[in-house]
Amino acid sequence: MIRTLPFAIALFLGLTACDQAQPVTYTIPKEERAAPTPGRATEAATAGPTASAADSSKMQVLPGMEEAAQAAPELSYTVPEGWEEFPPRSVRKANFRVSDSSGTAELAVTVFPGDVGGTLANINRWRGQIGLEPTDAAGMQAMTRTVKISNHDGLLANLQGPEQSILGGLLSFHGSTWFFKLQGATGTVTAQSDAMEAFLASVQIEDPHH
Amino acid sequence: MSALFKFFASLRLTVILLALSIVLIFFGTLDQVHYGIWHTQKLYFESFRVVWSYPEQAPFYDKLFWLHLPMPGGYLLGGLLLINLVAAHFTRFKLTPKKSGIFLIHFGLILLLISELMTDLVSQESQMPVDEGGRSNYSQAFRSNELVFIDRSHPEHDTVHSIPADMLKPGQRIDVPDTPLSIRTVRYFPNSNVGRAQAPGMDNLADSGAAVKMNIVATPLEVTYTENEINTATAYIEVSGPEGVLGTWLVSNVIDERFPPQTVSLGGQDWEIALRFTRHYYPFEIELIDFKHDKYPGTEIPFNFSSEVMVHHQNPTKDQKALIYMNHPLRYEGLTFYQASFANQDTTSIFQVVRNPGWILPYISVLLMGLGMCVQFGMHFIKFLGKRRPGVQ
Repeated sequence: MIRTLPFAIALFLGLTACDQAQPVTYTIPKEERAAPTPGRATEAATAGPTASAADSSKMQVLPGMEEAAQAAPELSYTVPEGWEEFPPRSVRKANFRVSDSSGTAELAVTVFPGDVGGTLANINRWRGQIGLEPTDAAGMQAMTRTVKISNHDGLLANLQGPEQSILGGLLSFHGSTWFFKLQGATGTVTAQSDAMEAFLASVQIEDPHH
Repeated sequence: MSALFKFFASLRLTVILLALSIVLIFFGTLDQVHYGIWHTQKLYFESFRVVWSYPEQAPFYDKLFWLHLPMPGGYLLGGLLLINLVAAHFTRFKLTPKKSGIFLIHFGLILLLISELMTDLVSQESQMPVDEGGRSNYSQAFRSNELVFIDRSHPEHDTVHSIPADMLKPGQRIDVPDTPLSIRTVRYFPNSNVGRAQAPGMDNLADSGAAVKMNIVATPLEVTYTENEINTATAYIEVSGPEGVLGTWLVSNVIDERFPPQTVSLGGQDWEIALRFTRHYYPFEIELIDFKHDKYPGTEIPFNFSSEVMVHHQNPTKDQKALIYMNHPLRYEGLTFYQASFANQDTTSIFQVVRNPGWILPYISVLLMGLGMCVQFGMHFIKFLGKRRPGVQ
């Protein structure tokens, strides 16, 4: 009977010792790199008017991002015909949705401090979201052109994917970067390209520097 | 030896241990104000010893700052109580029909102590957020991180080489399992502020990856224990191949999928390097069909959250449909999925995923203790009735 006592102590100490985790290797089913990142309740950003298929790029909000978006200057624009507007939410300064027979597309206007990794990285992020391979600086030239947004030189990227496409405006504006991303069914996005250009032309950002 | 055995079996020890337990719970409760429940539990109850310090916020801190009170932790007290109870059974208690109730109660108590220890050691808790119409095959533990090297070269699967963040001690060299790579932690911050450097190139410990491209630096912050806050773990990791150092990368759990992947290349092979919340992958996917958030009519007060889910297993015969709601979790493959939270205007449901192989033990032990009490008190009651009867007649 007495012998069981040290044994019990050894078992107890032994059990507590196996708590330490070790490096491991495991395989997982192929992951899509641009898969939406589910966020924690307090962290997850609102994904837009609805969690429709058009919005596959749910993002987590970094600490400070929301404040930066709220502190960003005000925005004015003309809403094209047929576009449904939703109130700004989280890091989005403006939200729109448009539908036609080919499907639905959503436009989100966001603003972040800095260059957010540079134009090429952002274009490649968008390409990833619609299932396209990343491109290089030369390839980027072919799919973008310069447009005037709020009296500044911006870029308009036309990215056509098999099912989803993106028409995206990028504007570097006094140390911040503005994104105007129309994403949705390829047919809808193509049909809305004139409306998108008209929208970008109508955008005026409050400019404290002039 | 017999003196030692007597000491361990003594009732005096039981009383002392129970008294110390009360003290431990008292000071643990005091510290919960600063550390929150999760950290307090680790500090006071999942430890062998703990030192309570006079809190800075309390009055007379300037006079009493030296006050530190060491006390035995939960593991020590629980372990000794267990030994005490077992030893007592070998010496003082004899199994007779009269004592059978007490034996049942004690056996239930021993089982309860063992199950608590098992829960501490082997249970796992994590969260799985799923969007309506979306699927997920992994959950994330938001209190622990892992450094991963992901090899995406295989057309059919990805290979993840994972090192727990607890092992990232500055200066220590660790081999990345099943790769020619090894790492040395330059810095590790359990919580930090990740942002752009004030001046380009200043003090940047990293020389590769996003930190250089985007001019990001990390500065340490105090660890937060607040329930709903997340610690931004960040590390500067120097990666080496067999031929020498490949570079130093800055990795952080906020530099996640939104950013272009950071890659380590060696001899034509690429690995994505990232620090992320520890993930647990499963051989099945949970699809959220519908999330319902019912409120009392005319108010914002919720009376029900429920998630209709479909479980898609790699083996289709194990597919299953389920409705998860308050007090009605889904138990599947040794895991329990509880309805924990929701987000994104009720379109994302968040499940608490718990793996606890010993979950049934507390139920059995409570059952045994209840049965033991019924037997013991029942016997007393019958004896009492027997004594009364002659008086009545």
